Amino acid sequence: MADAIQLEPEPAARKKKRLSATLILFLALVGMVAAFAALSKDFYSFLNISTMLTNISFSGIVAGALTMILITGGLDISIGGNIALTSCLVAYLFNLERPVPAWTLIPIAVGLGAAIGAFNGLFITRLDLNPIITTLGTMAVTRGLGYVLTKSRSILIMENVTGFIGRTVIPGIQIPIPLVLMVITYVLLFFLLGKSKFGRKVYCIGANQAAARASGIRVNRVKFILYLISGITASISGLILTGQTAVGMPQHANGVELDVITAVLLGGTALSGGKGEILGTLAGVLILGVLYNGFTMIGFRFVHIRVFQGILLILIVALYELRDRKKA
Amino acid sequence: MGSALLEMRGVSKQFPGVQALKDVSIDLQAGEVLGLVGENGAGKSTLIKILNGDYQMDSGEILINGRQVALRSPSDAAEQGIRVLYQELITLDTLTVAENLLVGHLPTRRGSGLVDWRAANETARAVLRRMNIDLDPRTIVGDLSVHQKQVLEIAKAIQKKATILVMDEPTAALGEEDTRSLFGIIRSLKEQGVGIVYISHRLMEVFEITDRVTVLRDGQKIGTVRTDQANMAQLIGMMVGRQLEEFYPKREIPKGEVLMRVQDLSIKGILDKISFSLRSGEIVGLFGLLGSGRMNVLRALYGLDPYDGGTVTVDGRTVALTTPNGALASSIGYLPIDRKLEGLALSLPVSANITMANIDHIGSGFFYSGKLERQRAQKWVKDVSIRTPDIATEVNSLSGGNQQKIVLAKLLETGSRIFLMNEPTRGIDVGAKVDIYQMMENLCEAGAGIIMISSELPEMLSMADRIIVIARGRIKAEFSRQEASQEKLLAATTL
Repeated sequence: MADAIQLEPEPAARKKKRLSATLILFLALVGMVAAFAALSKDFYSFLNISTMLTNISFSGIVAGALTMILITGGLDISIGGNIALTSCLVAYLFNLERPVPAWTLIPIAVGLGAAIGAFNGLFITRLDLNPIITTLGTMAVTRGLGYVLTKSRSILIMENVTGFIGRTVIPGIQIPIPLVLMVITYVLLFFLLGKSKFGRKVYCIGANQAAARASGIRVNRVKFILYLISGITASISGLILTGQTAVGMPQHANGVELDVITAVLLGGTALSGGKGEILGTLAGVLILGVLYNGFTMIGFRFVHIRVFQGILLILIVALYELRDRKKA
Repeated sequence: MGSALLEMRGVSKQFPGVQALKDVSIDLQAGEVLGLVGENGAGKSTLIKILNGDYQMDSGEILINGRQVALRSPSDAAEQGIRVLYQELITLDTLTVAENLLVGHLPTRRGSGLVDWRAANETARAVLRRMNIDLDPRTIVGDLSVHQKQVLEIAKAIQKKATILVMDEPTAALGEEDTRSLFGIIRSLKEQGVGIVYISHRLMEVFEITDRVTVLRDGQKIGTVRTDQANMAQLIGMMVGRQLEEFYPKREIPKGEVLMRVQDLSIKGILDKISFSLRSGEIVGLFGLLGSGRMNVLRALYGLDPYDGGTVTVDGRTVALTTPNGALASSIGYLPIDRKLEGLALSLPVSANITMANIDHIGSGFFYSGKLERQRAQKWVKDVSIRTPDIATEVNSLSGGNQQKIVLAKLLETGSRIFLMNEPTRGIDVGAKVDIYQMMENLCEAGAGIIMISSELPEMLSMADRIIVIARGRIKAEFSRQEASQEKLLAATTL
């Protein structure tokens, strides 16, 4: 009987253009690589590409996890402090009079990252605290602990046991280990966010947390797990950095939050939550990595790039904002 | 007769792909209440937005007291004495009543230019007293009820010399008592010569408060009738373009075994030993005024709010209802009162919304099956007759009625047998209402039980098999459908 009622036609559905947006990012990436290769012959060298990918992996791994947190409408800015503290703890433990066995360093580091993530997660979910403020506090605590642990100095790791994570390549095919870790992370997160039941819940929470809760989704549990994952990925990045530099130092990864958040937003994740994809973030991470490296290769200095990076972040947010306003 | 207070002549408005209004004319006299009714998408909102200067019409003219005016913005409209009170009230919640009332015109001390708070509160108090409104100017507006905020908005409009007041679904969030109070205010505004355009889906109210009714359908004016010469069936017929055989499709369904038994459910200071049972095939109505505790019963039973005392058994087994997740596992599903707040993820597609409460069963193990999601969504779109271009459409582009059906589909998808429905037909059009009543009856026929809250008395009296009256956190009376009447229910709330 209901079908007899004539209603005004619903406004035509706007087809999702998410995939093509990611595609555009990847095309832009190809264009940039081509442009830099034309401008600088050093850019396209094997050594440079390998270094670039290693550097990208360092921030890329955390960006993957942060994507999911941003989709729920949260944020984790304690990643830099987490990375620094990880490096300090590893260096400290290995420089004791009687150093801990080398094989325990990885589980200890990952355990530390997990603990920091769990700490964030508990406060953000149980007490419903603002994630920015909570992780800002954690950032100060972790970086501060790094200074305490190292007595504000850098601790060199003479016999670089973590070097294999940061510096070595897979023999034969010459792929850097950090890149391998990043690929593994992205494959896992791609399935977790894009293909799993857990991932669906992440999107639902981001789109409407109250509705998600009323739909029987255990919101706190999902969010806790996300901060836990973020903590773990930060400690993995911490291990990579320690391996690369062979030094534990509380100033490590200063400002990495900026790199990571810029990459995630560039990848199309909405700051307001509910939207975003792992592949988009991958594109964002690669584009930023190529830009920094390319600019360096054609003669820009780090300080200039930093200015450019800040402007870029604001431009990205402005562009997506304008697009969403047009849609609405 | 002189010229009308307001006249809109031959108004047309086209949006990309839709003719929202086609040659619509209405007129409003001073001291008159004109009802504006029609299904969702009939063009009411567009007409109002043109009157408020939010939209520009493509053709047509607007006359106030016989003089043609151009309304290019809401401030133009305000200057002409037009004030629209939208459904979502825009109050400054962190400020006081006086500040809201006098915003932009707060009195200042001579010399310093600082706000003279004493004068501000005095002025506000005088304004409120003149309108017979009992509000303290120093109260923070965020602490007011929806009705009090509404009254404040009306006072503000009158304070700014509005002569044409448009009210969009003003009673949507009000209980019976507040509705009475609002009608009292509307009547006194009439006496002062204010013209009021009253938009509502609640036809009973339209009959009570309006002098004439204009019906819109598909962007066209179907006609204007004098309220005292119209009847419900005629009005509905004009709105939907056909006669509805049965507005409340209640069937005789045999009641089965007890599905759920609630014993001494208590929440300190809110609920006091609520006990009742629900049988299969039955709709139990919970009736009460706003703040009576009826909503707390539903929220507690769904695990949304904690309760401190009492036991609940489902199929004879005691269940602990501490989370929505646990309630769903006990076969209890919930339809929230506010679909935008707790029902829908507006930015997600229809399909994702329908399966949202059943994610763990879409796909096996770790993986979520997009294919199964689409299948389930297709099924419900058909079964619940949701009108949408496709299941990938974001729900925020659908009408209220279709959104409500999506929330219902989501509830059905969970496979629950006990349904807690909080205002199942709130703010949706007549056609969609009948569809939802049909679904409720189908559920009962299939052996489910429904506990329903409704502030629309006719709906309660027609759809519920039993009605439990709650006041001040206690059960005051219980009536069967045969016994119940509007007077008995209202009387019981004062017990």
